[in-house]
Amino acid sequence: MADGPPILEMRGIRKAFPGVVALDGVDLTLEAGAVHMLLGENGAGKSTLMKILSGAYTKDAGDIRINGRAVEIRSPRDALALGIRVIYQELNLVPHLSVAENIFLGAAPVRWGGFVDWHELYGRTSRLLADLGMSLDPRALVSRLGIAQRQMVEIAKALSGSAFAKASVDQAAIADQSASVLVMDEPTSSLTSREVTQLFALIQRLAARGVAIVYITHRLDEVFRIGHRITVMRDGRVVATRPIQDVTVPELVRMMANRDLADHFPKIPVERGTELLRVENVGGGPLSGITFSLHAGEVLGIAGLLGAGRTELARVVAGADRCQEGRILVQGREVRFRDPEDAIAHGIGLLPEDRKAQGLVPGLTVARNIALPHGRRLARFGILPRQCETAMADPIVAELRVKATSTQPVRLLSGGNQQKVVLGKWLAGDVRIFIFDEPTRGVDVGAKVEIYNLMNRLTARGAGIIMISSELPELLGMSDRILVMHRGRLRAEIAAADATEERVLSAALGLAHSGQAS
Amino acid sequence: MIVPARQFGTLVGLLALCVILWILTPYFMTVSNLLNVAEQTSINAIVAVGMTFVILSGGIDLSVGSIVALSGVVLGTSLQAGHSLAVALPLSLAAGLLCGLANGALVSWGGLPPFIVTLGTMSIARGAALLFTEGRPVSGFDPSFRVLATGRVGFVPAPVIETTMVYAAAHFVLAHTTFGRYVYAIGGNEEATRLSGVSVRFHKTMIYGVSGLMSALAAVILTARLNSAQPIAGMMYELDAIAATVIGGTSLMGGDGTLSGTLVGALIMGVLRNGLNLLGVSSFLQQIVIGAVIVVAVLIDTVLKRKNRT
Repeated sequence: MADGPPILEMRGIRKAFPGVVALDGVDLTLEAGAVHMLLGENGAGKSTLMKILSGAYTKDAGDIRINGRAVEIRSPRDALALGIRVIYQELNLVPHLSVAENIFLGAAPVRWGGFVDWHELYGRTSRLLADLGMSLDPRALVSRLGIAQRQMVEIAKALSGSAFAKASVDQAAIADQSASVLVMDEPTSSLTSREVTQLFALIQRLAARGVAIVYITHRLDEVFRIGHRITVMRDGRVVATRPIQDVTVPELVRMMANRDLADHFPKIPVERGTELLRVENVGGGPLSGITFSLHAGEVLGIAGLLGAGRTELARVVAGADRCQEGRILVQGREVRFRDPEDAIAHGIGLLPEDRKAQGLVPGLTVARNIALPHGRRLARFGILPRQCETAMADPIVAELRVKATSTQPVRLLSGGNQQKVVLGKWLAGDVRIFIFDEPTRGVDVGAKVEIYNLMNRLTARGAGIIMISSELPELLGMSDRILVMHRGRLRAEIAAADATEERVLSAALGLAHSGQAS
Repeated sequence: MIVPARQFGTLVGLLALCVILWILTPYFMTVSNLLNVAEQTSINAIVAVGMTFVILSGGIDLSVGSIVALSGVVLGTSLQAGHSLAVALPLSLAAGLLCGLANGALVSWGGLPPFIVTLGTMSIARGAALLFTEGRPVSGFDPSFRVLATGRVGFVPAPVIETTMVYAAAHFVLAHTTFGRYVYAIGGNEEATRLSGVSVRFHKTMIYGVSGLMSALAAVILTARLNSAQPIAGMMYELDAIAATVIGGTSLMGGDGTLSGTLVGALIMGVLRNGLNLLGVSSFLQQIVIGAVIVVAVLIDTVLKRKNRT
């Protein structure tokens, strides 16, 4: 590890989106040759911070210094010029091109004004791969590679243009021209343990060479395997930055979770009624052996990290995807859903994760969106009586306080009001089992409280609600029970009375001794 | 959907076109010529109804012209075989409907892109029509059948009345039935519609069925008018129908558009052809003008929509 001055400093970084302050005065210092672990729950601001570093977002305030000199990063191009490379979770490779073509995409060596110099391309790629210690065939098609190998290609691509990728590393030149910063966003989320070992060896080689690495992860074991320093973020601020030897696992969990429970949740508990839904050993895809039940009057929270399988579970229960293993019982009777229509007929309504892509028809009016699931009931011989949709929608618009009229197209509404319209679709029918996937994502505070109030009214009427959320306070504040998912399985079931952020988070992180952290 | 101003724009375009042609050639604005335009437009206008349903749902139907030919020869041969119109007409409509339903089923359950499926059907239906007739036209029908195209009610040609009825019925379906709602919903957001419990596959199949049925209706009028069912009829009808639909403001992305717009679009095409003929413009130049009008109309549409949305 180098003792030199910080290669990159971010100070007082602030970024606000309409209604949310995503970053509020964040400091981050990166040193050459160090692997800096960046931790925090979903929505803590890690990704936003990295997007500012990579030029995808511009900061509202604060400054960035590279080797002590102030720089402005206004676009991804600026970030590249400064030697900042980011590898995102979703890989950006062209599958039908070779490793070499991907690495030098748009920068392939040419001769005779336009013809790719294949010899030079493969030669350069071989030298680069050898230099990085990667055993990959430059001519192999990316579509034939495994995920870990693709990640290697992505890393090689990220490093190909920067100074430290050159065979003879001129340290002075690097220090002068570029930051040599490599950001990796949860790179191991889809790797096997052997592949992880390979990746870590590579990271250590790069660090030894003087690259400053930012490593975003949810896996605490990784923190201690390759991290040198660690920064924990929460609610758009830095909680702490420490050398790795100064922290313990329970301490980390507490730093990530602890917050003032100032948020107010208007939870009204309802006596638990009969069993509405039972899920037995459901599996297939990323899911495996999931068993739980939902009762009338209950809000069942489902916690877990991104990719834990929460949305997949919701889609299976709502009939959007086929149930491959296990069985689902609605009010004691086994059901087989071929499509959402079947699930709706059994009184199951899904509020999907992505309201723009899955919840709304943007060009249709509020009333027509709300009435969409109820066409068959409203129509006589397929004919919709005049105004029947507005007659159905108006009371719902009023109840949910949607700030729009029934005849406005939903695309003109704000996020919170759009979400209310998606909710409204299920209020008109005979739905008793509500599945809310991230019901308050991208919704302003006022609308949030109204959604919570609606949940209270629904449970009071004898409905059961499954609420998937990445916001721990919301889960703790509104659920009667919380199921925690980790890698497609149920990791823990915690009653509301016993639930703490630490317990839920430990289980979501897959820590062996869930529940001890508190 | 909330862009009446835009709709109005297409109508203004049509009227402006009429005024210009009136000035250039006074004969254009005579009752007999206008009725002539309406009659000539009727076939494209009817095919464009089906095309509008398909495009509204986010698809495309390239097979309409070939379905016109196939339904036409089914009608022609069964009439010539001595069947009454009461037998021949349903047979012909069924042929068109079945072609459309086959398109829809392959798109919905086969998961194939509409462009590919209907491109295939375009060739298959054309080939079937040629095979069926051994490539020869089937000509000479009873006047009681021909009256469907040559008849008049008062001074209004029968095809104009038939087209009006088709538009009235199709408008009712689109505006006042669940099927019509689903057409817009599927085109606007197919996944959201599916998650709302709508059987998207069934309804998509029906949408292509409507398109096939409209082609068959157009074939009836065409056959009656020409007094001949030709296996090479309906060439390039798909392009005219797509042009009428998009000039009328229907988005090729689906979910947005109106039938009245399509009717205006079909009339613009018809008026333009008629006017250029009256002016003695060569058919080669006509193609260039019509192509330019399509592009300019959609360009204006796009610009206006961009303004409306922000």
